[in-house]
Amino acid sequence: MGLALKELLYSKGRFIMIGLIIVLISWLVFILSGLGTGLSTLSTGVLSEAEYSGIVLEEGSEFSLSKSSVNRSLTEKVSEQEGVTDTTPMSIFRNSVRKEGAEDAEDKITDIVLIGLEPDSFMEPNIIKGEAWSNSDENQVIADESLENDGYKIGDTVVLDNTDKELTIVGFTENKTLYHQSALYLPMENFQNLRPSSPDDADVEETVSGIVVQGTDVNLETFLEDEENVEYGTKEETIEGIPGYVAENATIMLMLWFLMIISAFILGVFFYVLTNQKTNQFGVLKAIGGSNGFIIRSVISQVFILSLVSILVGIGLTYLTVLALPESMPFYLESNMVIIYSLVLLAISVLSSLFSVAKITKIDPLTALGRAE
Amino acid sequence: MSGIELKNVTKRYKENKFEITALENVSVQVKAGEFVAIVGPSGSGKSTFLSIAGALLKPTEGSIMINNQNITDFDEKQLSSVRLNQIGFILQTANLIPYLTVLDQLLIVKKMQGTVTKEDKAFALELLKDLGLENKEKKYPNECSGGERQRVAIARSFMNDPDIILADEPTSSLDTDRGHEVVQQMAEQVKTRNKAAIMVTHDERMLSYCDRVYRIVDGKLSEEVRTQEV
Ligand SMILES: Nc1ncnc2c1ncn2[C@@H]1O[C@H](COP(=O)(O)OP(=O)(O)OP(=O)(O)O)[C@@H](O)[C@H]1O
Ligand SMILES: [Mg+2]
Repeated sequence: MGLALKELLYSKGRFIMIGLIIVLISWLVFILSGLGTGLSTLSTGVLSEAEYSGIVLEEGSEFSLSKSSVNRSLTEKVSEQEGVTDTTPMSIFRNSVRKEGAEDAEDKITDIVLIGLEPDSFMEPNIIKGEAWSNSDENQVIADESLENDGYKIGDTVVLDNTDKELTIVGFTENKTLYHQSALYLPMENFQNLRPSSPDDADVEETVSGIVVQGTDVNLETFLEDEENVEYGTKEETIEGIPGYVAENATIMLMLWFLMIISAFILGVFFYVLTNQKTNQFGVLKAIGGSNGFIIRSVISQVFILSLVSILVGIGLTYLTVLALPESMPFYLESNMVIIYSLVLLAISVLSSLFSVAKITKIDPLTALGRAE
Repeated sequence: MSGIELKNVTKRYKENKFEITALENVSVQVKAGEFVAIVGPSGSGKSTFLSIAGALLKPTEGSIMINNQNITDFDEKQLSSVRLNQIGFILQTANLIPYLTVLDQLLIVKKMQGTVTKEDKAFALELLKDLGLENKEKKYPNECSGGERQRVAIARSFMNDPDIILADEPTSSLDTDRGHEVVQQMAEQVKTRNKAAIMVTHDERMLSYCDRVYRIVDGKLSEEVRTQEV
């Protein structure tokens, strides 16, 4: 709308100040949300970055893979259930690794999560560097890129703590972390050999952590009735089952929403003061026949334009900041989150300007005759 | 008949327990092409009169006819539309919008009515030219002199091609020469464009441009005999 824009351009100084506040708020919101998602990806990445419907787990495992073990022979039965399109067994095992030849404990030890998967299954991670497993006798692993930041390279051989078994990094993937530790993926067959096992445990070859299920409208009711000692957790439940995730996430969300609510008040007050200063002007517009609707539309479109531009600047600043952040700092901002938070911020500033709308309708056009004040 | 007519208008302000009668049984009729002045001492009810005539204030008693239409019982929305389409207000100084150029001051009226056409723009430029404001259309109010601002306000009041022009002390912030210039131009516009105009003033020297003069004292209106021969 012309009137709104003309005023924005004419009173640049005043609007740049309010715009700056919106820029700072949106910048803070985006950075906070990026760091928050980064943190939660650290604790959930292996699961949250994969596409699946749910996991069949051991009963009583509280939907946590690390507490669960089930027999892999169940896989076949699960695939026959309603809505299931694909299944794959998955095993996880937490351990630590160090570089080959550094046994003197001088070199540092890195905590990792070993993940065993069937080759070519849908849970196999995407490769961003190097290549996937090839058939070979050595224990080839795909590692999360966070290990690369720790100084590991493609071709490096790492030694599993306690077992002294050796693994060779052949490729790197991204955002695949679990329990704040980097993931190392290897074929299920090799995984089973690495796991420390007691000889009397005959079943060990057949035991996996869970069976991951892909499909739409998956219905495992009859299966769960038949089988004892298993339960089914949806993707959401298995992510929430990750120790510490729910509390971490709630903290960050609380911070974000508090920030948004407080900014709504700050902006509301700013717009209100601005409207107050323009009482006389609005009185003139009313006296020469401007309707409430005309003035309100003009005020709201002004807030809209100002907020939109400021939020775009905020987004730009955020991406500049990301360039400056150290690699080791987890930052993960998805474009759909940027869009959602931008819309929320836009809605907040427009809504907060509604305080002023009530004020505008009450302005008496008589002010224009210079008597009401 | 186009023009404005106030019939037996009374306005009382209630203040605590007191009642102030600002206007008492006032009747006036101003036809198209007439330029009428209202004079009177401070507090006599001039502004009250103008506000009622300009659909800004409702009378306690009596009725107002604008172009033969009784607007006495209109609601706020209808009154706003009357102001937009049938009345041109010339407000006191400093009542221009600070962030609009001289040309935009006029075009905003059209914008409030809907859209701005090429003809509107041509009409605005013509009005500015008539009032000696050519080459000033890109200036902002703070770059204009007081007299220029007042002339912009006059041009703006003609912009919606209203039948009625109301002016509240248009010369109060001008020196004598500028004041004469402005009122003279207003009178010219009223004659050439055939408007009904009412001007409130306490500057007696401006009365020679007017067809009739009313004096208001303590809310009572009476016509001055002196200018009867016009
Ligand atoms: N909103 C109001 N509430 C109460 N009394 C009012 C109000 N407006 C005006 N009055 C009173 O009505 C009377 C007429 O006021 P009005 O403003 O019409 O005078 P005026 O002729 O315009 O005076 P001036 O030349 O000083 O502007 C005054 O006694 C004034 O005190
Ligand atoms: Mg007055």
